[in-house]
Amino acid sequence: MTLAGLRARKLRLLLTGLAIMLGVGFIAGTFVLTDTMQAGVDEKFARSADKVDLAVLPEKDGGQLPAALLDRVRALSGVTDAQGTVRGDAVLIGRDGRAVGDMPTVGISVPTGRLLRYAIERGRPPAGPTEAVLDTETADRERFTVGQTITVLDHRRRPHRFTLVGLADFGIDREASLRGAVGFDAATAMRVTGKRVYQEIDIAGTADRAAVAAVAGPGAEVLDSEQLGERLAALAGADMKLIRAGLLLFGLVSMLVSALVIYNTFAILITQRMREMALLRCVGATRRQLFGGVLAESAVVGLVGSLLGLAVGFGLGAAAVALLGRTDLDIPADGLTLAPRTVAVGLLTGVLVTMASAVLPARAATRVAPVAALRTDLEPGTERFRIGLPRLAVGVLCGVPGLVLLWYGAAVMDKGESAMFTVAGGGALTFVAVTALMPALVRPLGRVAGALPARLAGVPGRLAVENARRSPRRTATTTIALTIGVGLMTMFTVLGASVAATVDERLAEEFPVDFQLVPQFGGTDEQRIPHEAAARLRALPQIAAVTEMRQQKVRVTGAAGRAEDGRVGALTTASLGTVVKPEFTSGALADLRPGTVAVTTTTARSQGLRIGSTVRMQTARGPLTLKVIGTTIDGPVPPYLVTEADFDRYFGVRDATALYVNARDGAAGEGARAAVEAALKPYPTVRVTSVAELKKQYTDTVDTMVVIFAALLGLAILIALFGIANTLTLSVVERTRESALLRALGVTRRQLRRMLSVEALVMALIGAVTGVAIGVASGWAVVTAMTEDIVVSLPYPRIALFVALAAVAGTLAAVLPARRAAKTSVVEALAHD
Amino acid sequence: MTSTFTSPGEGAAASAGAAAPPAVTAVEVSKVYGSGDAAVHALRGVSVAFARGAFTAIMGPSGSGKSTLMHCLAGLDTVSGGRVMLGDTRLTGLKDRQLTLLRRDRIGFIFQAFNLLPTLTAEQNIRLPLELAGRKADQAWFDRVVDVVGLRDRLGHRPNQLSGGQQQRVACARALVARPEVIFADEPTGNLDSRAGAEVLGFLRASVREMGQTIVMVTHDPVAASYADRVVFLRDGEIVSELFQPTPDTVLDRLARITGGAGEPSAGNEQNLAG
Repeated sequence: MTLAGLRARKLRLLLTGLAIMLGVGFIAGTFVLTDTMQAGVDEKFARSADKVDLAVLPEKDGGQLPAALLDRVRALSGVTDAQGTVRGDAVLIGRDGRAVGDMPTVGISVPTGRLLRYAIERGRPPAGPTEAVLDTETADRERFTVGQTITVLDHRRRPHRFTLVGLADFGIDREASLRGAVGFDAATAMRVTGKRVYQEIDIAGTADRAAVAAVAGPGAEVLDSEQLGERLAALAGADMKLIRAGLLLFGLVSMLVSALVIYNTFAILITQRMREMALLRCVGATRRQLFGGVLAESAVVGLVGSLLGLAVGFGLGAAAVALLGRTDLDIPADGLTLAPRTVAVGLLTGVLVTMASAVLPARAATRVAPVAALRTDLEPGTERFRIGLPRLAVGVLCGVPGLVLLWYGAAVMDKGESAMFTVAGGGALTFVAVTALMPALVRPLGRVAGALPARLAGVPGRLAVENARRSPRRTATTTIALTIGVGLMTMFTVLGASVAATVDERLAEEFPVDFQLVPQFGGTDEQRIPHEAAARLRALPQIAAVTEMRQQKVRVTGAAGRAEDGRVGALTTASLGTVVKPEFTSGALADLRPGTVAVTTTTARSQGLRIGSTVRMQTARGPLTLKVIGTTIDGPVPPYLVTEADFDRYFGVRDATALYVNARDGAAGEGARAAVEAALKPYPTVRVTSVAELKKQYTDTVDTMVVIFAALLGLAILIALFGIANTLTLSVVERTRESALLRALGVTRRQLRRMLSVEALVMALIGAVTGVAIGVASGWAVVTAMTEDIVVSLPYPRIALFVALAAVAGTLAAVLPARRAAKTSVVEALAHD
Repeated sequence: MTSTFTSPGEGAAASAGAAAPPAVTAVEVSKVYGSGDAAVHALRGVSVAFARGAFTAIMGPSGSGKSTLMHCLAGLDTVSGGRVMLGDTRLTGLKDRQLTLLRRDRIGFIFQAFNLLPTLTAEQNIRLPLELAGRKADQAWFDRVVDVVGLRDRLGHRPNQLSGGQQQRVACARALVARPEVIFADEPTGNLDSRAGAEVLGFLRASVREMGQTIVMVTHDPVAASYADRVVFLRDGEIVSELFQPTPDTVLDRLARITGGAGEPSAGNEQNLAG
């Protein structure tokens, strides 16, 4: 027994250490990654800012510097060179003749000489009205090479041709790396973007700072090189903080799971060492000494695990940096940053979490009566489990309000943020309740989960299922660790799938069209689709209907008396009710006449509007008062839907924000698409998307999101699997005699190994199924609380996949303990008492 | 230095198998743990046969190798030399899987403690070997065995709800119900008080007499050994003596002679010649 205990101890140290190691590793890795990225960014900005002696920036973010200022600065004594930064939209046309990207590319002036702050990676900087450079990434993606001719649209959407003379890294410019960039010399940049002002003026030379500030006037500030570097880095640093916070949140989940695993390990070990503890008490150890002993042990395990975790974290960080470096963000790979803060946070979290998790087991150790040493030990885990009062109390006190909150937030409360918070609170309480009640659930769940394996794997299978159910407390803690990860993953999946399904359904019901045409968005100018484009499409024989959606931002005053910005919109009258059918939650489309408006439910709520209320709008052509005749559900419909006649009269905007195109029956598919694209040739910035593509886009977005969450939660699940392996290993040690007996009675090694696999499988299934149940419930509640009329979609195949993966992974977790169990010599195990 | 015992059909044993081949035979079996200087010779060329339908006890002081012998005979352990036969099957050289299936199908076990699986009821424990083999228990036989060991009203209980004696009776029933060719019992009464022990031993003897079961039992208790038809004595890994129709007194006497009388290494041979 002592020998087994010792072996178990070494193994426990290893496995428990692993759980802590992974948790700390994730946290430390997050710090290493973000610190390294930050250091890289800092350095890059510092290097870039180094080229500038002084910089003039507008005081306000997004402000501008008049063009005349540059000349005045240049005239100052000590200024050897001064150049202004021009920036605006410069839409790059791809090889297919359409605008590149969802957002227009940025047109940037590339400075010359010493002040050139961007790295030219190939070719040379642009000079003169016919030359341009591209950012390397965009060029690679669009397969443009130096020497080719590129077409760029100016601010009036007129095409201009440029010779591509070089490729540049605009990496220090956030917007450029997001949207892609075309670089020109300053004069050309002004011509293309239509901007006659500067966003920044960079100065080289020994000019007096005060003199520059005097010239620049009150609307601008003057920074030296160092300040400029810090300013630029701080902007990027905000992103880094967000990334870090997000990653740390997942780290927290991992630590929580680690804590459960550690708690369970210590609890099992204390039970197994009852006699040892009792013996210690017999020979005079005080309760305090026992408690201290267990805690000290946990501290050592925590410290070892955390130290390993730091190493793992450093490796993880390095791997992530290398991976990111290979993709788009170029991070200087030289020198990973291991800040003292990282070490301190990692060690503290690891040790404290381990010790905190060991407190309850340590307390249990002190309750051992000295006489227990004299008792012959019972077979472990055969005692009947009766759910205690505290557990029951926690279960009821958290579970009832938790479920009520879930239901209330989802079904009763007004949709929106407060409902979602209510639901989140309800979800958390329900989870606590499930955790408390889990031991009572293990037996019934185990029977259900084990039904199939027990039937398939024969007697060993049945024994395995019994083993999984025999210590409900132990199994419960082991499985809850898995429940957390699977539950969160399921919830995110349900959320994502529901959002995608809702978009799908909105489109299918309200906008049953074949193509959706939208302008590139996100440019500095509001972009629209020219009315002529709609006219050209209507002329096509393949097209049955073209619906224009026009929108305009306006100040609106509702029943609450508050003026708010709102978007007024109109849809082509001929299509309204026939091609596109906005869904009304109250009122009817038929009532929409000049002088009336339909509002979305969200708008109605925020402005306190209902049928019969009036809204007032300030338009360019005078005030407009409209009567509300109904509410529509949120979706593609504008917040304030008016008739086309009113829109024409008061807003006069002719160009559309979106076109919806229906092909004639039989002409759908590629023929219609080719015709549409041909008709749109003069309008390269209009993006054509078929509804099928649109759906795929949403699905892809959801998939990407789910994959990212899965990867991040994967660690928590991995730790939970270590927990299963850990519990099994300890159980194997505990059941050495039993295993030997089974082997003597004719259970083969393979059957014994399979028994452990089935046991792990059942545990994994219990955890996964509970997780799926909680995840689906909270996913449903969150989705329902989010907005009106959302379609709740349960992605069954994906959820089934989670369960299947958990089952497989659980079985894998049993491999090592099973080998160990099978290897034990029957004779040895039988020989000693 | 080989002690040879042939199957004693000539003894007064009430065995019906005088003409039948022995259930289990060991020929020149040796077992060495470790190697070189550290080598421990647990068995030094033991040859012994166990008759069908007989109740044989193996006795000897601690470290005499009696448990090792049993483990080798039962296919729980491998031998270093010699061979073990179960009926016509040669155990020596079988793979682990074959040995396991052989144990499952042809051998029954009763151990000193931890005989039962705590998660199973008494009945499930009794049926375990049969179910492992995928065989159906003969219900009449099952009922008879259960009635003989007196467990009818305890079948639904789990081991921790049974007394030590009851647990051992469940173990006996489990061994009997599968009708194995031989049952190996390792100190089956070691953990029981004398009354419960007597009960268990009574069943074992009855099963031999009434059901024709073959039993080999390792024990250090002369009273327990006296229930057997024949007692084989081991010392230092060798068979040194044997006794038929033992009583507690004759066993004790013989035991005293082989342990106390270290100067009589030939005692066993004498007995053999005399027998």
